[in-house]
Amino acid sequence: MMLRGKRNSALFLMVFFLLSFFVLKVDFAQQVVQEEQNKVPQAEENAEKIVPSPANIKESTGIYIFLAWIWIAIFVLIYILRLKIKEVDRLNNLRFLSVEKK
Amino acid sequence: MSKRNAKAGIQSWFDERFGLSTITKFLREKKIPQHRHSLWYYTGSAILLFFAIQVITGFMLIFYYNPTLEEANKSVGRIMTEVPLGWIIRSIHSWAASFMIAFVFIHLLSIWLTKSYREPRELTWMSGVFLLCVSLALGFTGYLLPWDDLSLSATKVGTDIPRSIPVVGAWVTRLLRGGEDVTGDTLTRFFGFHVCILPVFIFILLAVHIYLVQKLGMSLPLGDDNKKEKIKELPFWPNFVYRESVVWLLLLGILFTVAIFLPPSLEKAADLMAPAPEGIRPEWYFLFLFQTLKIFPAKILFINGDTLAILLISMAFIFFFFLPLIDNKPAEKRGKVITLMAYVFIVFFVVMTVWSLL
Amino acid sequence: MKLEHSLFTRRQFLNGLLGGWLGALMASFLYPVMKFVFPPTREPDQVILSFSDFKDMEPNSVKIFSWGSKPGILKKEDDGSYLAFVAVCTHLDCNVAYLPDQRKFFCACHDGWYDENGTNIGGPPPRPLRRLIIVIEGEDLIIKREGVK
Repeated sequence: MMLRGKRNSALFLMVFFLLSFFVLKVDFAQQVVQEEQNKVPQAEENAEKIVPSPANIKESTGIYIFLAWIWIAIFVLIYILRLKIKEVDRLNNLRFLSVEKK
Repeated sequence: MSKRNAKAGIQSWFDERFGLSTITKFLREKKIPQHRHSLWYYTGSAILLFFAIQVITGFMLIFYYNPTLEEANKSVGRIMTEVPLGWIIRSIHSWAASFMIAFVFIHLLSIWLTKSYREPRELTWMSGVFLLCVSLALGFTGYLLPWDDLSLSATKVGTDIPRSIPVVGAWVTRLLRGGEDVTGDTLTRFFGFHVCILPVFIFILLAVHIYLVQKLGMSLPLGDDNKKEKIKELPFWPNFVYRESVVWLLLLGILFTVAIFLPPSLEKAADLMAPAPEGIRPEWYFLFLFQTLKIFPAKILFINGDTLAILLISMAFIFFFFLPLIDNKPAEKRGKVITLMAYVFIVFFVVMTVWSLL
Repeated sequence: MKLEHSLFTRRQFLNGLLGGWLGALMASFLYPVMKFVFPPTREPDQVILSFSDFKDMEPNSVKIFSWGSKPGILKKEDDGSYLAFVAVCTHLDCNVAYLPDQRKFFCACHDGWYDENGTNIGGPPPRPLRRLIIVIEGEDLIIKREGVK
C-alpha cells in the first residue's frame, strides 16, 4: 500500500515535470537593461597561433633528459616498491595464518 | 635521546593536541578486500592524484594569468612563450584535466557495474554524482579562460543550452554568462567559478564522499557480502598504499610524457563580433551530449527538438542520480536491466563521441 | 676490515632506497616549479630613445625615461654632456628625484642623498646610483647597461 502511494507521487511529479517543459514560456528575462554596445577592444594583430615548443636546443635537450630521468626513477621506484610489497604481503600472510591457528 | 625516541616524542606532542592517533589507528586497521573486481579500487585515488596536480599547476598558472577580456589570451601567450617552462605547466594542467575526468567516468562505471551503490552506500553515490557535475563544470569553465575563438564559441553554445530548461532556463543562462551574451563579464565570472567557487564545492563534496567511504568501508561485489568464507583482505597501510603508489607513479609518468609531447596550442584572441569559426566543439567529455543535441531535428511534431533532447537528457540524469534507490533489488531482473544500461551508456558514449568527430 | 654486524637492517636499507629515490624524484619536480615561479628579471640590455626629445634640455636638468620596468634619469650637465642613471635608490628600491637647486639626488623614503654624480653622500643608501652608458648615434639616443656591447 505504501509503495503504491510513493509510486503514484513519483509518477505525478514526473508528469508535472514533463508538462512544465511545454508551458508557455513566460519571458522572465524581460527586464534586460539595454546595455550600450560594449566597445569591443580591437585586439592588435597578434600571431595567428602559438604552438608551444622548447625555446632552444638547450631547453629541449634538458626536457628530454628530464623525461628520461623521470622514467628511470619511476622504474627504480616500482622495482623497490615491488620488493616492499612482497615483504609486507609475506608479513601479512604470516600474521593471517597465525591468527587462524589460534 | 635517540632519533627514534625524538621522533616518537614529537609525534606524541602533536597527538596530545590534535588527537590524530585515532585517524592513524583507523588507517592502520583499515582493510581492503581482494577479489576479482579489486582493480577498480584504484580509480578513486587516481582521481585524487590528478586533482592534486590540477590544484598545484593551477596555483602556478594563476600567478601569470590575467582574467580580463583584453589580457586573457595575451597572458596565456606569455605563459607559453616568456615564462620559463610555462608551456609545460599549462600542458600538464590541460592533460591532467582530461585524465581526471576520464578516471571519473571509469570510476563511475565501475561502481555502476559492480552495484557498489547499494545499501548503505547510496549517499556515497549521490555525492559522487555531484562530484561528477562539479568536475565537468570545472572543465567547462577552464576551457573558456584562454579566450580564443574556439573556446568562446563552445562557451556560447554551452551556456545557451540551459535556456531550454523550463521556468529557470533563461535565468540560468544569464547567471552563467553575467548577462544576455557572452562577454568579458562572462570570462571574469567563469574565472571566479573555476578558481574559487567550484573548488570550494569540490572540497566539501570530497570531504563528504571520502568520509562516507571510510565509515562504510569498501564494498564487496554482489553476492560476496554474505559469503560464508572470509574474503581475503589486505591492510590499507602499508600493503594497499604501496600498490597505489605504483599506480600513481605510472600515471604521473604517462601524464608528463603526454604533456611534453602533445602540448595544447593557443589560437588567437577571440573576436566577439566575428562569425563562429568552423569546427567548434567542446572538450571531448561533452562531445557525446553535443552530438545528441545535434541529431535531434529542429522540430518533432510541435515540440522544439532541442527542448526534447534536453528533456530526455535531464530525465536520464535524474534516473542516474537516484540509481541506488531505483536499483534496490540488484540481484533480480531489474538489477540486470540496470547493469545492461551501463553497457548501453558506454556504447552510446563512444558512438556519439566518434560520430561527432567525423 | 670486516664488520661483525651490519650498520643497518635489510628493511632499513630498502626503506632508505625508497625514500631516497622518492626524494630525488620530488626534487627533480621542484626544479621546473621554481623556474616557473621565479621568472628571470626583465631588464633590457639597451634602450633606444629619440634624441630630439632630449636635445633641448636645460643644463642641470633631468628627464625620466623607461629602463625596463624601472625609471631612468637622464641628466644634462653644465658642459652639455649627459649622464644616465637608474633612478632607483640603492637602499630599498624607492624612486629618487633630482633637486636642481641643491644639485643632489634625494630619496624621500628614508632621507637618502646622492650628489650630482650619483655618489651616495648622506642617509642609508649603501652604494652610488647605478650608471648607464650613453651613446648618441645620429637621431638615436642609446642607453646601455654597463658591460653590454
